[in-house]
Amino acid sequence: MKRLPARPGEWIRRDEVVRFTFEGQARLGFAGDTITSALLAAGDAILGRSFKYHRPRGPLSAANHDANLVMQVDLGDRTTPNVRADVARIQAGAVVHAVNTHGGVRSDRGALTGFFAPFLPVGFYYKAFHGKRLFPLWERVFRSMTGLGRVDLAAPQRTTPKRYDFVDVLVVGAGPSGLSAALTAALAGASVLLIDENMQLGGSGQYVRHSPDRVERINRLVDAANSHPRIRTLCDAVAVGYYADHWVAVDTPRSLVKVRARSVIVAQGGFEQPVVFRGNDLPGVMLAGAAQRLLARYAVAPASRVVILTANEHGYAAALDAIDAGIHVEAILDLRATPGPASRELASDPRLVGVHLATGVQPYEASSGAGGRVASLAFRTAAAPGRLHKIAIDGVWMSVGFAPAQSLLHQAGTVMRYERSIEQFLPQTLPKGLFACGKANGRYGFDARLADGERAGAQAAAGLGFGADVAPVSIAGEECPSHEYPIFPHPKGKEFVDFDEDIQIRDYENAVQEGFDSSELLKRYTTSGMGPSQGKHSNMNALRILARIRGEGLEQHALTTARPMFHPVLMSHLAGRGFQPERRTPIDAEHTTLGAVWMPAGNWRRPEYYAVEGKSRSEAIAAELRSVRTGVGLIDVGTLGKVEAHGPCAGEFLDRVYTGRFSNLKVGMTRYGLMLDEAGVVIDDGVIGRLRAESFYFTTTTGNSGTLFREFGRLATTWRLPVGLVNLTGHYAAFNLAGPKSREMLRSLTTLDVSEDAFPYLALREGAVAGVPCRLMRVGFVGELGFELHVPADYAVTVWRALLQAGRAHGIRPFGVEAQRLLRLEKGHMIIGQDTDATTTALEINAPWAIKMDKPFFIGQRSLQALARTPRHLSLVGFRLPPGTAGRVKEAHLVIHDGEISGRVTSVGHSPTLEYGIGLALVDPKVADSGLLSIRVGRTEMVEAAVTALPFYDPDSQRQRSGSSP
Amino acid sequence: MSAADVVASLRRSALHGLGDASPTHGQAAPRPQASDGDRAASGVAMTDRSSRRRFGVKGPQAESWLAELGFVVPSAANRWAVSADVLVGRLGTSEFLVESLTEDVERVAAADAQLGSALRPSSVYPVGRQDLVVSLHGRQLNELLRQICGVDFAPYLLEPTSGSGPLVMTSMIGVGVLAIPRQQSGGVELTLWLDPSFAHYFWTTLTGLISALEGGEPPEKPNHT
Repeated sequence: MKRLPARPGEWIRRDEVVRFTFEGQARLGFAGDTITSALLAAGDAILGRSFKYHRPRGPLSAANHDANLVMQVDLGDRTTPNVRADVARIQAGAVVHAVNTHGGVRSDRGALTGFFAPFLPVGFYYKAFHGKRLFPLWERVFRSMTGLGRVDLAAPQRTTPKRYDFVDVLVVGAGPSGLSAALTAALAGASVLLIDENMQLGGSGQYVRHSPDRVERINRLVDAANSHPRIRTLCDAVAVGYYADHWVAVDTPRSLVKVRARSVIVAQGGFEQPVVFRGNDLPGVMLAGAAQRLLARYAVAPASRVVILTANEHGYAAALDAIDAGIHVEAILDLRATPGPASRELASDPRLVGVHLATGVQPYEASSGAGGRVASLAFRTAAAPGRLHKIAIDGVWMSVGFAPAQSLLHQAGTVMRYERSIEQFLPQTLPKGLFACGKANGRYGFDARLADGERAGAQAAAGLGFGADVAPVSIAGEECPSHEYPIFPHPKGKEFVDFDEDIQIRDYENAVQEGFDSSELLKRYTTSGMGPSQGKHSNMNALRILARIRGEGLEQHALTTARPMFHPVLMSHLAGRGFQPERRTPIDAEHTTLGAVWMPAGNWRRPEYYAVEGKSRSEAIAAELRSVRTGVGLIDVGTLGKVEAHGPCAGEFLDRVYTGRFSNLKVGMTRYGLMLDEAGVVIDDGVIGRLRAESFYFTTTTGNSGTLFREFGRLATTWRLPVGLVNLTGHYAAFNLAGPKSREMLRSLTTLDVSEDAFPYLALREGAVAGVPCRLMRVGFVGELGFELHVPADYAVTVWRALLQAGRAHGIRPFGVEAQRLLRLEKGHMIIGQDTDATTTALEINAPWAIKMDKPFFIGQRSLQALARTPRHLSLVGFRLPPGTAGRVKEAHLVIHDGEISGRVTSVGHSPTLEYGIGLALVDPKVADSGLLSIRVGRTEMVEAAVTALPFYDPDSQRQRSGSSP
Repeated sequence: MSAADVVASLRRSALHGLGDASPTHGQAAPRPQASDGDRAASGVAMTDRSSRRRFGVKGPQAESWLAELGFVVPSAANRWAVSADVLVGRLGTSEFLVESLTEDVERVAAADAQLGSALRPSSVYPVGRQDLVVSLHGRQLNELLRQICGVDFAPYLLEPTSGSGPLVMTSMIGVGVLAIPRQQSGGVELTLWLDPSFAHYFWTTLTGLISALEGGEPPEKPNHT
């Protein structure tokens, strides 16, 4: 292994030396080197260890799929786990270690696992975890042995942008066919985004360099693509997932880009496949494409004497590339009895004169020498099967076939068929607007790929109205690129099919024998294809093994569809920059000034209470509550849903939506509304007011406002009722001015007559408050004389300040959500979602006055009729706690009766007004009838609470109706 | 000063109380020290336009009512038209947004007043519009939009119009917006209308994104583990 003299087109910059360490030893590389190329150039052979048996491993693909060459890279104060050495650029000062070793990559103690291999059969995980008794033991063992890399839990959180992109034609893959497709589509007039996972365009055309003419043609295509005004190019970008309507997730070094294309062309090429034989994982044994990448891009010779194991023309091309780089090719070993025409043509190249060529080869085993690197290859031939040949080499390059990169096609729903003549799956039916070309479409010859790219580009553009359609390109006459069964069992095993998980031939045989005999089951049981490379080098061979065991053709099998993301993506890219919309009322800053302590309420923030220096939370809340009971308080209720319904059918619409009757509501009055779902379950409530004969204004609960507005629209459409619905939730502020002094205080700010006669309980009025047009409703949620003021949001600050200013003389105090909860609890008013749950029906909340069963229809009516004929399961009741127990009883504590759960506490608190603990509970009516609730507050502790009639406070509701004292 | 003007003087932008970054109506933000032009040249300038007088109207007779009052109404949904400093956006078959583009377009105020009075015709309903209105322009506007919205605005920004054009209803950073691209004297400007309760979130989030676009470091938060 060595660095070669400068080569044309190399990706390294020799004038910039990069220093780093690997496993504690200093190393040098050039800028542009990957960790792998720099280490190989430095003479390192073992770059990582395998996951299961900790076998020494070197590069396999050098194409972003080397799952065994995963590094921990420390740079300054940051550490990054699971860096892929085959593509990650070296950085000055980096400290690099292979992950998954015990004692370092050169003397990994984990290799002892290999001695226990006979006791680690396929499905070992499942078998180990099968018994409950040993589960904890195995969990500890596996946790200590598994896991790749080390996460720095103290690393700061960095946000990465999310980004959309839009284009007519997205071309995925910038090899010969992708370049050709992109240029054809762009020339037809379409805008094109051409992406490639490599650092430069060109694909295999860039690193398979034996033909100067071919290299020149690729260079011209690259130049044309880079300079075309309608083509944008994006390198180092992996298309990792396909979603509906040509929405493709593209991972770039900086972020995840969501590309919305009108058409997509998949030209991702193919994953070269390994030969399965004993010792095929030794360092020095690699795919021919890996060697060619290292030679062309980084000028690194990964071996000095190689043997080429091949079954297609590409192996011969690799031999030529090796010779051009000064590497001695000991032999070309063709698995086929007769090489194809393209292979024969290359074999006749003068550069291969003197190179031994054998056909009908059956590799037997590769053996390692000093340092763990491959040192020889033993094989037989079909002509002399009894004779074992052995060649001394330091590199084995494999080129026996490809698995087309079709994951995006699978995710898009492409129907595939197996094409025997080229031994691979081909798209049979592609979704509209999706195209495949090149190796992914079964075209392997250089000219065939260019032609197929032109065809795909023209078809994609034509589908969008650019240019004319063209006919498909035939694959007849091409040499078969893949061997039908490049798998050679060895009596001693260690012929690896899946390098990620160290899965051998016998593991598949045993799994099938145990009944896991379909591709889906086999994958899950063996974990084949479940490692970091996601089966890119193992799925096809696994399927071949399965088909042969079952005595079937591959036509009867299918590959599994890899879910997005089918290539690893940084967690930070997946997360992206988080957007969490938070709503604020227009007087949010006023609350802050007043010392608000915030709490979330749906996607809003609301003041829980206002902090007072020298007072505890509960003292501050109690003071707010007393202010409402004895003077006047002001709360921001702007988070309530606010809706207008207009039109001659608005009343009928509300009659259908709510359980009450609103078509007969007088103009200028309000009424409580209860909303159910079809099952009769309580889902919302609010106040409905009539502004004019054809106009209503009503509120919903905070959390449901958005959902319900959409539902209102759906219902109006479904019922074909001409109702104009307007969502004013964010456009109107709302305050509740409550307390016995509220009327007197309000009078100073408005010309409206707010006297009891002119503005009675439940009335709705419109008029100016503090010079601002407002809607005012006489409501009594907190059980006192109260006015709910609804104000256009732009004027909210003006009105709020005016109210506080005017109330100063009356001792006004803003109060928060917690005081409001206690105030309404004293009145026994329920809160939907707290005192009810997803199963609580209208019959269980004891509000028959709100339900007009004699109406022709309302949502949930039929269910209530049916439920009325059955015994009630639960009933919402009030209870009073014995002294000293209020703090011990919590919401959701269970009510126990005869040792069984008979209900739960829904609201509880200490009433500052009544000076004892009160609460609401949903309980079995029979238990409620007993008059006593046994509430479990601890493992064995119980509190006995007395069932009490509601409301607890002001039973006749005189205070909220007229403001008079009870 | 008329009574209506007195009332209007009591208005506050939804961005009221934003702290140092708080803009006042019609003023550029978030960096008062940089001129609007400077920001547009290096990134994106964002301006609060909430102070413009506007109203919404819907109902079967809304179109004819607007036409009777002399407003130029777009003939198709999801279109806008500007005439005599008044913008009319058609949000659907029978819903409209009307906004005065200058301080004193009397007929906008008059129509709004009629909507809130007994003179309002039947089948014409007012739609409260206390929107946060934000205009964006600058060299990196399209890049910003690509980070916050799934709609491709590039065609609108490349070929903007001034008298009429498309109106886009979409979601940006999780908030429903109504967007109008329009050619102005200084270049293309995108104006957004959104629910004012999202004002703080929307403004501060966009401020951060614009800062990052202009070369600011992406924010780092400590990891509380």
